[in-house]
Amino acid sequence: MSAEAVRVVDAVDWLASLTAARDAGYTWFDDLGCVDEIGRSHHFRIFCALVNWDAGPLGVRFEALVPRDAPLIDSLSALFAGASWCEREAHDFFGVRFTGGDDRHILVHEPGHHPLRKDAVLGARAAIAWPGAEGADSAPGRRRMVPPGVPDPAVWGARAVDDPVPTATEVAQSAVGGRVRRRT
Amino acid sequence: MSEGVARHGSIRLIEEACTACMICVRECPAWCIHIASHTVTATDLPPGARDRTRNELDRFDIDWSVCMYCGICVDECPFDALVWAGDHHPGAASIGGLLAGREELRSAGGSS
Repeated sequence: MSAEAVRVVDAVDWLASLTAARDAGYTWFDDLGCVDEIGRSHHFRIFCALVNWDAGPLGVRFEALVPRDAPLIDSLSALFAGASWCEREAHDFFGVRFTGGDDRHILVHEPGHHPLRKDAVLGARAAIAWPGAEGADSAPGRRRMVPPGVPDPAVWGARAVDDPVPTATEVAQSAVGGRVRRRT
Repeated sequence: MSEGVARHGSIRLIEEACTACMICVRECPAWCIHIASHTVTATDLPPGARDRTRNELDRFDIDWSVCMYCGICVDECPFDALVWAGDHHPGAASIGGLLAGREELRSAGGSS
């Protein structure tokens, strides 16, 4: 298949754009998902990939940004029945709501817990030593390694009463993992 | 079991291939691999060559009480130093008995 073209649309035009694409021959629903854009912008990126098998085949990916605080977008389930499952996943894992869609839970039955949001952290692991922290590549002058998904205790952990509550962005950015500057 | 399909049971460490690079430790989602190593200066260099160092393994443990047999370490190892090797570690009287050290991992599944 040729490389997917990307079309970024406004969230309000989501259903209309996808309907037009389907009517234009992109009749095969490939995928629908969500990306947490935290750290870049305070949004979720909803994407939907369609394929036109009669021309090429040609792939197209539609993308729309919805605000992180009130993630709401039209459901495509009337257009593609199979989209309903992907929307339920996005609802479960990111808390995105799809107008006119099926928002029954698939896996996550804990209210308000959306495990694929990047500020959903592995809090219990902040208290255990990560075996990957020190290795042959560790040296006093080098940056230290931290595990992904585990928040920096200095940001997320116990704090003084007067300290401000960390924002979702700060929590997410403290849990990206990789090599970080050593605290002095 | 079909031929040629790795069975997720025990894991063998091929120590000669291991460079103590820590990739398996850091990729492990269960945090069950522990490596300690030190750096030694290579002595078998041709005259005039720059000094080189390599990592020497001191400790390589897999905690089978934590491992979930996903095989990410086997897949991720760039030196193919970890391979699937036969049946699971047997049950033990205490949880500490499920920690497999370097000697046991070398010989897992019989000698290669």
